[in-house]
Amino acid sequence: MNPDAASVARCENRISLRVEAACELPAVRRATLMVRDWLAERGMPEADLGAWELALVEAANNAVKYTSPEGRRLPVVIEIFLGEQDVEAQLTDHTAGFDWPDKVELPDLESERGRGLFLIKSLTDSVVYLRHPGHNVLLLRRARPAAVTATEPAVAQLQRRLAEAESALTDMTSELGSSYESLVAMFRYSSELGAHTDVRDFSRRLLRDLMQIAEADCAVLRLASPDGKNLETLLVLPDEQRPLLPAIALVGKINSVEIGAAHSREDIWFDAKEPLAADDPLRAVMPAGNGVCHAFLVADQLVGTATLGRLAADRPFTAAQVNLLHTFIDFLAIQIVNARLLDERTATHVTRRELEIAANIQHSLLPGKIPNCPPFALSATCQSALQVGGDFYDVIPAADGAVLLVIADVMGKGVPAALFAAVLRSTLRSMPQLFSQPGELLAAANRTLFPDLSRVDMFATAQVVYLDPHRLEMVSASAGHCPLLVWQPGETEASAFGQSGFPLGVEAQAKYPQTATPLPPGAAVLLYTDGLSETRNAAGELLGEKNLLGLLAHTAARTSDTEAGKHFLLQRLADYRDHAPLTDDQTLILIRNLA
Amino acid sequence: MNIQSKAGQTAVVTGLEELVASNAAQVRDEIRAALPASCLCLDIDMSTLTFLDSSGLGALISLHKTLRARNGTLRLLKPAPNVRQVLELTRLQRVFEITS
Repeated sequence: MNPDAASVARCENRISLRVEAACELPAVRRATLMVRDWLAERGMPEADLGAWELALVEAANNAVKYTSPEGRRLPVVIEIFLGEQDVEAQLTDHTAGFDWPDKVELPDLESERGRGLFLIKSLTDSVVYLRHPGHNVLLLRRARPAAVTATEPAVAQLQRRLAEAESALTDMTSELGSSYESLVAMFRYSSELGAHTDVRDFSRRLLRDLMQIAEADCAVLRLASPDGKNLETLLVLPDEQRPLLPAIALVGKINSVEIGAAHSREDIWFDAKEPLAADDPLRAVMPAGNGVCHAFLVADQLVGTATLGRLAADRPFTAAQVNLLHTFIDFLAIQIVNARLLDERTATHVTRRELEIAANIQHSLLPGKIPNCPPFALSATCQSALQVGGDFYDVIPAADGAVLLVIADVMGKGVPAALFAAVLRSTLRSMPQLFSQPGELLAAANRTLFPDLSRVDMFATAQVVYLDPHRLEMVSASAGHCPLLVWQPGETEASAFGQSGFPLGVEAQAKYPQTATPLPPGAAVLLYTDGLSETRNAAGELLGEKNLLGLLAHTAARTSDTEAGKHFLLQRLADYRDHAPLTDDQTLILIRNLA
Repeated sequence: MNIQSKAGQTAVVTGLEELVASNAAQVRDEIRAALPASCLCLDIDMSTLTFLDSSGLGALISLHKTLRARNGTLRLLKPAPNVRQVLELTRLQRVFEITS
């Protein structure tokens, strides 16, 4: 290989980086710089970056210096794994390899070589060198400092917040100009912006510093309530023991400078000449003297109000002091909004995770392969809406070549519904002796599940069908589920039927009548959940059972292949809702007598 | 990298950025070649050096030996903390005169 063509390639995923470098000193050097930058982007402190850079440089240099002529054509590979507790590096070389010494010592002080292994050993917590035919792997591990255990999203957020803090700081620096004292305070606060600090605690410290620098005697900080209706008190300084001022309605009859400032978005001053109104709640804190109230906003939304007061009536705040108030409080507003964003983000994350779990459970309930029941052909599907619900279906082989079909809809969403669906499925599967008596089966399952279901206020609808290939008939029972739709050959319309009992979990001793229906050659049956009949079109109209009956007749006349029929049905449903995303699960089983 | 002789006996090396495996031997040879015969004191300005590895240390030790052979000295000026750390980790502060 031409030495000038030394190349480096990188491959990155969330927590590991793989860099391949040509077996040349400049190329492996570039590779170590890539690793350094990658770790730096993930918040690794300078001291650790330096250690990793040097340890990897020494290891990579050895890989190049001692390589065989054949090995020179192969890349030196560095992989980095970023764990919460430590960082691991794996370097693959194509040298003849060597025995890693038991004890790595420094050479004579004036030796010109022989310090590489010592540096690697000193800069890492563990070293393992594995020799293989044709290549060797050096494994290095070094603990991460305690402070840097943040996960990737947290780091990204930290970076965003730091960027915000920086821009906020730039604005403030120009504004504050010569005020050294304020700048020191600001820098201290800016270092906290990335951390997940308690808003009240952070505000208290900031407000105390502000009072000191602006020579105020008291301060009141209020925040707008999440619904935007009230101003709630967060802090009253200096006396923390004093009960907080009650919340005040943003729309009300009270004469409050805080409400006034919140509405006008302008500072409101008060002093002996223009005192607080007799019913102004601030009077409890600032009965006399003078002060100024400032409303603060982020993205044009009211965040809260801050009021500074002085007990002496004759010494108003100077323009510089009011500028300080603005600067500190605007800074605080960023912190407050950031904290809220962080909370929201965490909440969304939990929900998304919950939905993932629920989807996994729901998916695991579906039979991997649908058993045959000749002459009947069966096809089934369960399409999940974004908000995972509790739909599932099951096809269970029964004695004498029969099968039991189950379609169910657990009321509720998310993990609880998915878990209950799992329990229902197991309960039904555990009673094979009742498969040929669907009514008995549902009654027994209901008795088993009732205590748990009623305690958590959940219930489920289910349709159970015993498909008998010898008698060419089905025996069905329903627990509050959508009716069965049956199409008999030669008919222009399908019909819905099946008596229904209570849903499962509603009445402990519920009885479930069962019906036998002959299914002569050509007959088609549709089991479905209400996600199908309640499909809405662009105008908001429900598809309804009648249209579904028509759709089944249309499908059955069009094809006898159940797989093709299922896709045709789903396609027509998608057309009906104008291809809008599903709002509820759609589950169906299509049966056809092919004899 | 730049090498300047001052007053016959002192030479100063400035502008070193990295002293690593890929350039250590070359840097060492260039400095040695540019060293006036009369030079007894070689100062290497380390303030611009961002990274030093064991090969770089080898080059510095080699130059140290060159100077000592003529009863001269090698001084390392103003190394950055990370570079100083490498020197100290390998205990070479005992060999070199390091000034801050």
